[in-house]
Amino acid sequence: MALASAHKAPGLIIRDNPTTVGEYIGEYIAKRINDFRPTPERPFVLGLPTGSSPIPTYKHLIRLVKDGKLSFKNVVTFNMDEYVGLPQDHPESYHTFMFREFFSHVDIDPENVNILDGNAPDLVSECNEYEAKIQAGGGIELFLGGIGEDGHIAFNEPGSSLSSRTRIKTLAYDTILANARFFGNDIAAVPRMALTVGVKTVLDSREVVVVVTGQRKALALSMAIEHGVNHLWTLSALQTHPWALIVVDEDATAELRVKTVKYFKSIERVHEEVEASQEKARKEREG
Amino acid sequence: MTSPNGLICFTNCLLPMQDGSLVEKDLWIDERRGVVLDSQQTFFSRKQRPDRVINMGGNIVSPGFIDIQINGAYGFDFSVYEGDSDAYRQGLQTVAEKIVETGVTSLVPTIITQEKSLYPTLLSLLRPCSNPKGATLLGWHAEGPFIQPAKRGAHAPLHIRSPPKGFASFEETYGAQNLAIKEEWLMDGDAPLGVRIITAAPEITGVLEAVPEFDQRGIVFSIGHSIATSDFATEAVRRGARLITHLFNAMPQLHHRDPSIIGLLGASPHLSPPSSPTNSPPTSPASPASPVSSARISSSQVSLRMTTKAQSEAFDDHETPPQTPMLAASRVAGKVPRLGLHLEKGQVADLEFERPFYELIVDGIHSHPNSVRIAYNAYPEGCILITDAMKILDPHLKDGVHEWRDGKRFVKEGVKLYLEGTDTLAGSVVTLDTCVRNHSRFTGCSLGEAIKCVTFNPARCLGIETRKGTLCPGADADLVILDRSGNVLSTWVRGKEVWKKE
Repeated sequence: MALASAHKAPGLIIRDNPTTVGEYIGEYIAKRINDFRPTPERPFVLGLPTGSSPIPTYKHLIRLVKDGKLSFKNVVTFNMDEYVGLPQDHPESYHTFMFREFFSHVDIDPENVNILDGNAPDLVSECNEYEAKIQAGGGIELFLGGIGEDGHIAFNEPGSSLSSRTRIKTLAYDTILANARFFGNDIAAVPRMALTVGVKTVLDSREVVVVVTGQRKALALSMAIEHGVNHLWTLSALQTHPWALIVVDEDATAELRVKTVKYFKSIERVHEEVEASQEKARKEREG
Repeated sequence: MTSPNGLICFTNCLLPMQDGSLVEKDLWIDERRGVVLDSQQTFFSRKQRPDRVINMGGNIVSPGFIDIQINGAYGFDFSVYEGDSDAYRQGLQTVAEKIVETGVTSLVPTIITQEKSLYPTLLSLLRPCSNPKGATLLGWHAEGPFIQPAKRGAHAPLHIRSPPKGFASFEETYGAQNLAIKEEWLMDGDAPLGVRIITAAPEITGVLEAVPEFDQRGIVFSIGHSIATSDFATEAVRRGARLITHLFNAMPQLHHRDPSIIGLLGASPHLSPPSSPTNSPPTSPASPASPVSSARISSSQVSLRMTTKAQSEAFDDHETPPQTPMLAASRVAGKVPRLGLHLEKGQVADLEFERPFYELIVDGIHSHPNSVRIAYNAYPEGCILITDAMKILDPHLKDGVHEWRDGKRFVKEGVKLYLEGTDTLAGSVVTLDTCVRNHSRFTGCSLGEAIKCVTFNPARCLGIETRKGTLCPGADADLVILDRSGNVLSTWVRGKEVWKKE
């Protein structure tokens, strides 16, 4: 809806803690889907991440669905990534994560769910077909993402091309070490490769919303928004996107300049005032 | 009420897990095939999600309860056959259809000691049978006739026997076809799930020799109505006995120097395991408890017996004297103790001696709550709650005087049942769901752990834990819905609701 884009929120939203961040993003996505009025012929296409940061957002979306304020009936989803060679029903697979944390609790049609198959016989064509399927569906309306401590978005780790598309990626040693805790602290058991959408795939979506919470992500956040576009911090590519929103908690702002934080807080306040006055004007017009 | 695509999701509920925990999780079932689904696989591979979602309002969705020892209910006695097979089958069906109100979705009808010629008929009538509107009849539990006369309980002394020819004597009594190897026994039936349990006393001549054969044929051998010493009881387990029949009842009470059958709950993991080649049966000089010796118990010992109200199986027992410690020659001679002790906490023997499962009647009468807690704490993984109920089991029966049999009458007071004019307990009339609630109260275990004692534990004992007593994908969708206090709200069999609380 043209109206919705006219009311674009500022680029960085700061909330107190991960729960309130999740509530903010949940409400935001719900509004976008409801404003879109999706139908079976014209579904809302949503990109989704895994990891701990989006869990509060998923929780809030689930509550909205249970309260009847939101439906995923006409929503098509594309997930960002999946490990290679890990059985689909492995407790650490992203299929398992998405089913456990989100899909089992909302009214989404399984036919509308897309996740890369890390066990496909031909991984290259799996990736190409995935990319083609996104485009065939009219592209992604809103891509929700999270980041790693090194600033990676999806599995686009430091050094990834900023024009990359869906492909096979070898995981950085840091990531393998970080993931070992999910595989009984056995480094050998951690998958070495993953399939992931590219940076360009994310940038192609009409809107990008990124959740960044916790102090450990603070440096990555600073590198992504206070420094130049750089393939060593792939999230920074978002600076070139016309409609990107990053929602963070107070902890994640630890490495930002005071000036940066104050700037975004002030424009959120101004934005809210403008929204409120326009809403009032609209009601007076209609009333 | 049915789901357009045949799939049902139970949501906002607690699911009892195999470890005794209760987990907040959805359960997906296929009502047409009557099985529990792997929800994630159904979603991603079958690309389906249930059309019907049932909000359980925070209640518990448990696997259906399994009662492995029940003598009858709703006026029908499994042990009474009056020459009419159709009437008998009708009686079985009545019980199967009504018992679901107590949360029971599978049961093993139990027959007490019979006149010999009746066994082949009765046991063939008790072939496994599933029932679309009621509980599944899993097979049979034959309690007797190879039991210890001194612990015969309500069994008719006239029909109690020994099997001098070992397994061949069992075949002669029960009918060879009823003791066939499991696969052959089930071949011509339509329910590929069937169980058989035999309760016998291992100290009776010929019984111990037959135990391995039962084990091999897929028949659960249960130690009961017995005065076996610790040695005998241990040996029976080594040879394949898997279960103890109504622990504490119809067996010697716990004596610290020879804890007998009850003592198996404390058996060391370092004992050589079942079917180890070094095992030897207790040699005859060391086996003290033959029927002959027990018959010699003097009347003075009988009169020493303390009068307690809490006796049913035991009401006309001879009291067994406290057992003198038996320094069995075989124990000293035959076995080399395992030397290696483990240094790590929680680590047990390399080849662990597995203790048998044990049945408990948790009505608060047949076993004192304290005894229940002692047994459960000793070995929670082996605990199986049973009703051992008589045919008068019927939760709708009013307290008061009722006709019984042979002109006798009984008085019902709650779950207590007395012969009229006496303080003799006439048997158990407790329902299994009551036992679950009692168990949680008596032992302090969680409701989930108590549920495990009527679901996963009995299923594991019977070797059917992939089909019954579990919510694992592929298991039968036999379910009982409980409120958070353990009261039955509704019961489902093979994916269909068969009973609902009014």
